Amino acid sequence: MLTTIASATPTVSVAPETLFHIGSMPVTNSQMLGTLGVLILLTIMFGAVRAVRKGSRSRLMHLMLWAFESLYDTTVEVIGDKAVARKVMPLSVTLLFFFLINNWLGILPFVGAVKYHGTEVFRGAAADMNMTFALAIISMTTAQVWAIRKHGFLGNIRRYLISPLKDPLHSFEGVLEIVAEFSRTLALSLRIFGNVFGGEVLLAVIAYLSSYAASLSLPLFYVLELFVGAVQAYVFFMLTVAFISLGLPNGEDAHADAAADKA
Amino acid sequence: MLSVLATTNAASPGLLQALGIDWKLLVEQGVGFLILVAILGKFVYPALVKAIDDRRATIEAGLEEAKESQAALEKAEARVAEMLAEARKDADDILARTQQESASMIADAESKAKARAEQIVADAHATLSVEVTKARAALKKDTIELVALATERIIGEKLDASKDADLVKKALAREKV
Repeated sequence: MLTTIASATPTVSVAPETLFHIGSMPVTNSQMLGTLGVLILLTIMFGAVRAVRKGSRSRLMHLMLWAFESLYDTTVEVIGDKAVARKVMPLSVTLLFFFLINNWLGILPFVGAVKYHGTEVFRGAAADMNMTFALAIISMTTAQVWAIRKHGFLGNIRRYLISPLKDPLHSFEGVLEIVAEFSRTLALSLRIFGNVFGGEVLLAVIAYLSSYAASLSLPLFYVLELFVGAVQAYVFFMLTVAFISLGLPNGEDAHADAAADKA
Repeated sequence: MLSVLATTNAASPGLLQALGIDWKLLVEQGVGFLILVAILGKFVYPALVKAIDDRRATIEAGLEEAKESQAALEKAEARVAEMLAEARKDADDILARTQQESASMIADAESKAKARAEQIVADAHATLSVEVTKARAALKKDTIELVALATERIIGEKLDASKDADLVKKALAREKV
């Protein structure tokens, strides 16, 4: 990204750029950084498991376990049902760690600087709408799966489709809920994409504007992007858990409201 | 200032294309993420959750033990307080009984001493009375002898004991009359 300092004008691409193909499958620069992020995540996670089994904990592992425990507790608290929360937790916690690591990786100086045939080799994973949209679809699908498991297929449909003759107000509300499910999916993906992509654009513009003083001006914005990246990862995690809990019966509404307030 | 590149060029119609959405990439990345979730869910999270559960169980056991110890301590303190109260009560009882007994013993001793003193005085009086009687008898005897001696000197006749006794008796009889 810092290469934009030297360029005449910074160039910004909304879509990820394809680097090469494996068979017919395209491999993009966002996937490259995403893969690196996944490798780092797996290394840290398996390191944490090894450290737990050995009983030895470095500061990094201690921090990692503290973060995991906090996320696990939050999931249990929002879902309300511990058994369900334990099954939801792998998805929610992985979402947070995946986005957190990739958002932070995305602001490192080598991202954008390394090029292959004029194309950036790395790009923030969340700055690719394919990734954020895919994960939003997974989140909302999971919420629907849990709603069907708890209410039954017809019971879940009845949450949305209410006879207007019985209750006109709730019937209209149900239609709005159907629209809301789709808008939530889109909002979930666009929120993190917009923040991360906007952050990349911001860094590129600051680097371009401050030119040779970029080394002085950029660190402030790096700190801001570190914060934004962490907050957006947490928001994605929290909303996923809240949307799943919304589909669960009994008393989970209160938990979901509390979670939505937190988010 | 910014030039948005060809990937979002005007030739790509529609919102999804404008955002760079490619269904093939989307599915690819979604599946990749699900594989990541499956790996972490299978090999990592259970171990971490178990570690958390174990730690919490240990903490809860410790808290439970602390609570039990606290309860035992409170019970022991209550028992100690109860025993102290009992001991105080016993001590008070013993003290009261001792005081009562000592008072009784003192009173008893006093009465015995008084009786003894009275006895001693009575004995002394009796002894004194006997001694006085003896002294009187001796005095009487001496007086009779002295009178006899004096009479003998006066009348110039040696009186033997029997005459003397007769004379004395007669004199006494006269005196009585």
